[in-house]
Amino acid sequence: MNRILSETISFGRQYLRTKVGPFFAFIFPILLIVIFGAIFTSSDGSGISLPVQNLDQGPHSVALMEILNSTGYFEISMVAEDEDIVDYINDNSLALALRIPANFSSDIDASTPASVTLYGDMSRSSFPIAQGVLDAVISQMNYDLTGASPIVSFDVQNAGSEQLSAYDFLLPGFVGLTIMVSAMYFMTSICAEHRSRGYFKLLATTTLKKSEWLVSKFIFNSLMLIFSLLATFAVAVAMFDLKAVLTPVAILLVVAGAFMFTSLGMLIGVVVKDPESAAAISNVIGFPMMFLSGSFWDLSAAPLYLQAISKAMPLTYLNDGLRDTMVYANEESALVNTLVVFAIGLVCFLLASRLMSWKER
Amino acid sequence: MDQPVVDVKGLTKKYPPATTAVDGIDLSIPKGKVFSLLGPNGAGKTTTVEILEGLRTPTSGEVSVLGVDISRGYGPIRGRVGVLPQNFEPFDLLSPFEAVGYWADLLRVRMGRKDIGSALDAVGLGDRKRVMSKTLSGGEKRKLGIALSMVNEPELLFLDEPTTGLDPRARRDLWKLIEETKGRGTTVVLTTHYLDEAEKLSDDVAIMHRGRIIAQGTPEQLVSRHGKRTAIVLVGAGAEGLKELTRRGIAAVEKEGDVVVAVEDSSQLRWMFAKLSSIEVSYREMYTRRETLEDVFLDLIGSKMEEGVLQG
Repeated sequence: MNRILSETISFGRQYLRTKVGPFFAFIFPILLIVIFGAIFTSSDGSGISLPVQNLDQGPHSVALMEILNSTGYFEISMVAEDEDIVDYINDNSLALALRIPANFSSDIDASTPASVTLYGDMSRSSFPIAQGVLDAVISQMNYDLTGASPIVSFDVQNAGSEQLSAYDFLLPGFVGLTIMVSAMYFMTSICAEHRSRGYFKLLATTTLKKSEWLVSKFIFNSLMLIFSLLATFAVAVAMFDLKAVLTPVAILLVVAGAFMFTSLGMLIGVVVKDPESAAAISNVIGFPMMFLSGSFWDLSAAPLYLQAISKAMPLTYLNDGLRDTMVYANEESALVNTLVVFAIGLVCFLLASRLMSWKER
Repeated sequence: MDQPVVDVKGLTKKYPPATTAVDGIDLSIPKGKVFSLLGPNGAGKTTTVEILEGLRTPTSGEVSVLGVDISRGYGPIRGRVGVLPQNFEPFDLLSPFEAVGYWADLLRVRMGRKDIGSALDAVGLGDRKRVMSKTLSGGEKRKLGIALSMVNEPELLFLDEPTTGLDPRARRDLWKLIEETKGRGTTVVLTTHYLDEAEKLSDDVAIMHRGRIIAQGTPEQLVSRHGKRTAIVLVGAGAEGLKELTRRGIAAVEKEGDVVVAVEDSSQLRWMFAKLSSIEVSYREMYTRRETLEDVFLDLIGSKMEEGVLQG
C-alpha cells in the first residue's frame, strides 16, 4: 500500500509540474464549457443577422418588418435598393437575406398573391431557423390580413424534471470527453515516455508490481478528474443557467471512467514505442470516439450503422451514464452504464497487466 | 566456502534472426568482492549484466543470483539487489531528495529526511538535493543514479558504467564509496571501460569479446598470465624510433607517439638498456613500468579501445 501511495504522490508531483497535464485536466474542460456555453446560450433564435432589401416601402412591407422585429429572433439591417441581393450576400459572406419586392403592398391591397424571397446558403445552421420563423411570421400576417385566427395549434410541454437546455445535454458529454482525453491520451504518452527513457526498466529493478503501478495511476486520475469535474461544474453553474445536477452516481461514473480509460491507455501503451507513435495511436482510437459517442450531439437521429458503431465505443456508455444521472435523473440506467464502464475497464486492466512488459525480451 | 553470490553456467543469449550476444559463458562471483566485466562495445557485457539483474531473459543456461535460480522469478531477491543501469535517466520533475525518498518507498526501505540527506551527501549531491533533476549535469545525474542504486543497502550491487561523465575528482570519490560499500560486505558487479578503474577496484576481472569470456582472474593474475611484466618506454620516439628498433631486431610497439619495448624477464632489463643506449634513436626520456591491465586488454582484444569503442 505504501508503494502505491508513494507512486501516486510521486507521479502526481511530476504531473502537476508539467504544463500539458493540468491544462487538459482543468483548463481544457473549463474552456469547452465556457465556449460552448456561450454559443448555446445565445444561439436560441435571437441575434440572427437578417439584412432586408425593401423595394416596396408600402404599409404592408413596413408591417412585415415590424412583426419580424417583434419576434426577437432577428437583428435586422437594411440593404440599399440598387444592390444585387445575391452579389451582396456573396460579397459579405452572409448566411441569408430577405427581399421584399416593389409591388408587395399593392399586390396585397389588390388581393393578388404576394411573396417575399429569403436568399441564402441553406447549408448554414441559421438558415432553417430563419426559414421557420419567417414561415410563422407570414402565416400570422395572413391571419391578420384576412381577420382569421388559427383553429388548430400545438403546445410544447417539457417532460423532464425541469426546463433543460442544449447546454445541459452537452455538459455530461464534455465531462466524458475530458475523462477520455485526460486518462487515455495521458496514460498512453506516459507509457511511451517510460519506455523510451528507460523508466520501466528502472522501475523493474524495484519491488513495485505492474498492477500496483497501474492502480496508482487510476487513483491519481480518479482524484484529479473528480476535482476537474467539480471545478468545471462550478464554472458552468456560475456562468450559465444550468439545470443538470451533480449526483453521487456521477462521481461514481467519473471514477469508473477514470479506471476504464487509464486501463485502456495502458493497454495501448503495450504497443507504443515512442511519444510520436503514442500520439498517433491515441488519435486513431480517440477521435472516432469523440464524435461517435454522443459527446457533442444526440446520436438517436444518426444512421443506424453509426448508432451500431457508437455502441462499440466505451465512451458511449460513460456519456450515457452521466446524462442519465445528471440530466434525466434516471439512476437505474446510470448504474447499469456504470457497471458496463467498470467491466470494460476491468478487461483492459487485466489485459494490460498481463501483456505489458517492463523488461527487455 | 560461501556459496557464490552469482553463479552462471553456459549462459547464452540470442537475438533473432542470428545474433548471439552472449555465447555460453560461465561466471562465479564470490561474496563481498568487486567483480569487473570488461570488453569493447558489443562484447555482450550489458546483456550479461541485465540478465543477472533480472531485466532480460536468457536463451539458455543456468543463472543463480543470491542463491536463487532466476528462471523461477526474481521477486524473492529484488529488494536485496541494487542496480545502476547503463543509460540511467532520472525523473526530470522530481528533486534528488524526492527521488531518493520515492525510491526508498518502492524498495520498502524506511528512510527519514536525515537518511535521505546522508544518502545524497555520500554521492556529493548534498547541495543540489532540492533542484529539479532535469537541471542536473550529466555527472550529477549519474551520481543520483548511484544514490538510488544504494538506497536499499543491497547485498549485490550492479554498477553499469558508473563513472561515465564524472570529473576525475568525482571518479575518485566514487571509487572510495565503492570500496566502503565493499567493506560493508556488499558484492559489486562493475561494468566499465576505464581499465585503470577496474584494475584499482576489482578483486576479479573477466574480459568479454564477441559474447565470450576470453580471460578471467584477479588483475594481478591477468597481468602475470598475459602480460610481459615490464616495459621500457621511449617517450616521443615515434615511428622513426620504432623503425630503427625493428631494423635492429628488437620487438617493440608504438603507443601514442611513444615506443614500448616489452621485456619478458626482469633479469634482461640491464642488457636491454645497454642495447637501446647503443642505438641511435631520438627520444625525450626513457623509463620502465610494470605492464597494466590495459596492456593485457589491448593484447587480448588485439585493438585499441577508447570510450568503449575499439579503434582499429
